Amino acid sequence: MSSASASPRGVRKFFHYEWRLAALKNGFQDATAYRIEFLLEVLGAALIPAAIQWVLWYALFKIGGQTTVGGLTYEQMLAYTFTSILFTQVRGGDHDFELMEMVRSGGLSNYLLRPASVVEFVYIRGLAPKLFLAGLSLLIGVLVSFFVDSISAGRMVAAVFLAVLGNIIHYQIGAVIATLSFYWEEAYAVLMVKNMVVQILSGELIPLNLFPASMEWIWKSTPFYLYVYGPTQYALGRWSHVEFMNAVGVAMIWILGLSILTHWSWRLSIKRYLSLGG
Amino acid sequence: MSKTPAMAPVISVNKVRRSFRSAQKGEGLKGTFELLLKPKFTDHHALKETTFTIEPGSFVGLIGANGAGKTTLLKILAGLIPPSSGEAKVLGFTPFDRTMEFRHAISLVMGQKAQLWWDLPATDAFDLLKAIYEIPEDKYRERLETLSELLDVKRLLQTQIRRLSLGERMKMELIGALLHWPKVIFLDEPTIGLDVLAAEKLRDFLKTFNQKEKATIILTSHNMDDIERLCSRVMILKSGEMIFDGSPNRLVREGECRLRIRLKETFDIPTLSQITGIAEANITAVSENDDAEEDEDEKEESADSTAGGAEGPATIPTFYFETTKEAVLKILQALMGKGTVLDMGIEEQSLESVIQRIYADGVVSDKGEADVRV
Repeated sequence: MSSASASPRGVRKFFHYEWRLAALKNGFQDATAYRIEFLLEVLGAALIPAAIQWVLWYALFKIGGQTTVGGLTYEQMLAYTFTSILFTQVRGGDHDFELMEMVRSGGLSNYLLRPASVVEFVYIRGLAPKLFLAGLSLLIGVLVSFFVDSISAGRMVAAVFLAVLGNIIHYQIGAVIATLSFYWEEAYAVLMVKNMVVQILSGELIPLNLFPASMEWIWKSTPFYLYVYGPTQYALGRWSHVEFMNAVGVAMIWILGLSILTHWSWRLSIKRYLSLGG
Repeated sequence: MSKTPAMAPVISVNKVRRSFRSAQKGEGLKGTFELLLKPKFTDHHALKETTFTIEPGSFVGLIGANGAGKTTLLKILAGLIPPSSGEAKVLGFTPFDRTMEFRHAISLVMGQKAQLWWDLPATDAFDLLKAIYEIPEDKYRERLETLSELLDVKRLLQTQIRRLSLGERMKMELIGALLHWPKVIFLDEPTIGLDVLAAEKLRDFLKTFNQKEKATIILTSHNMDDIERLCSRVMILKSGEMIFDGSPNRLVREGECRLRIRLKETFDIPTLSQITGIAEANITAVSENDDAEEDEDEKEESADSTAGGAEGPATIPTFYFETTKEAVLKILQALMGKGTVLDMGIEEQSLESVIQRIYADGVVSDKGEADVRV
């Protein structure tokens, strides 16, 4: 018995990682089934916000004549913009919307009867392309670190790690909100509002340094700054190692708390599932 | 290995009820505002007190009109929704607990809900299922080989799901649902949308699987061929109530038959009802064109024959009278007194017609038999 559990098969059975790996593999194949679509999605999501920010900073600094905004120079602002793009790609996708739609339409039924957690399954399936992008971001970041003094390869690896933790938090929050659809049949608006708040408070639109000191508590009291702002600050050397480790600790606490909340919210809400259709 | 006592029921349902609450929207803008500000809710009793047991290895047909409660019952048994009251047990488990052991032992196939990945070939989805159900590699290969051969889709395993026909997709869904060799299988309209050949192939497969693997199968279908050819037991639901539970043979009472007749004269059903004394509901007219699947050549031929301005031959309908063998002579005499019989025959009463009448009347005799009357 003990020898069986110590064998590779025993280890596999204990951790149940085989289905997770298979879901990851299928998720990646599914996301990249149409290569051009996938590339355009990635490039569009990365380049358009960057171009808008570039124009904005150019107008402020070069046309408006500002020398610093929120303590950042034009060059520092551009460094933030282009580094943050990498982490914006890693931040969570819209799989919480997928969960909500599954509850609403009854599509959840197909997954509920499988011996695997549906919340985890949907996450892993959607995580695959994000992990690919995280790898790509890491590669780009490491390459850039050879030419830009303020970025180091080691910091880049750690920053991507923090961004991946942010990805987990983002999905967990979405998964909890998605349970509202068990009660209201629709949670689209709440998820949309959440995403809008995330866009502002994660630092993907503007660096959070631009918030006045008196309003810092707003972004500090949410975990969203861990998605983009935190990794960017660390990658650019603007956060110390201590600040980074603090952020990782905070991320872990959020993940733990949200794991419990996700588990209980689904356990309670699933009783109201109607399994419509069919 | 756990041993189940001989003939211990694999499924037991005891006084199970299920109701749903839903908001009602009135007509127009007023209704929209009312729904927004002061919604009105109504309770719909999808399943009224239902009690039955099913023995291991049975093939049971669950039938009923739309909204009769059959899918609700299936969802309760599969563990998707809990009953509002009463108790259901499947393989000794309370389905809604959805324990891992229970999930390994059952399968649910819903004809209208695809579970395979649209953009990936079936093998990729099956690989994932192999990992989820922890199926050993050798068993997985053996089962995939058996199932894909039985369903004749081996050559399509590497094809993207979205490129398959509806029938081929359904077969792949079924393979995905059976790879873990479930002990209890719930099939919700598995032949929906399939052509005659694909449906037949699927039925043959299900029959073989049931007989060889001794799996308990519960099937809902609107296709009476599915029920007639597969099920040794039929349960009929009407408005959430079980109105029949027994062998399909018991539905058709001894001595009942169907008289098929073609007349030279044109009569409508009310007139035929007057002539023969058979209720209108028990007379059906089928014109040849209703069933005939004309191919393009036939259509062209028909167009050619009418091109000269001559009218095409008028279609003489075939009438079916649901009756008893003793009454056949009387009906024929009555019809011959009013017209000329071109063709006639006596057929066994179809299960479909019996069930149609049960849907309409919902009358069940004391013995649990449908009260089929002329």
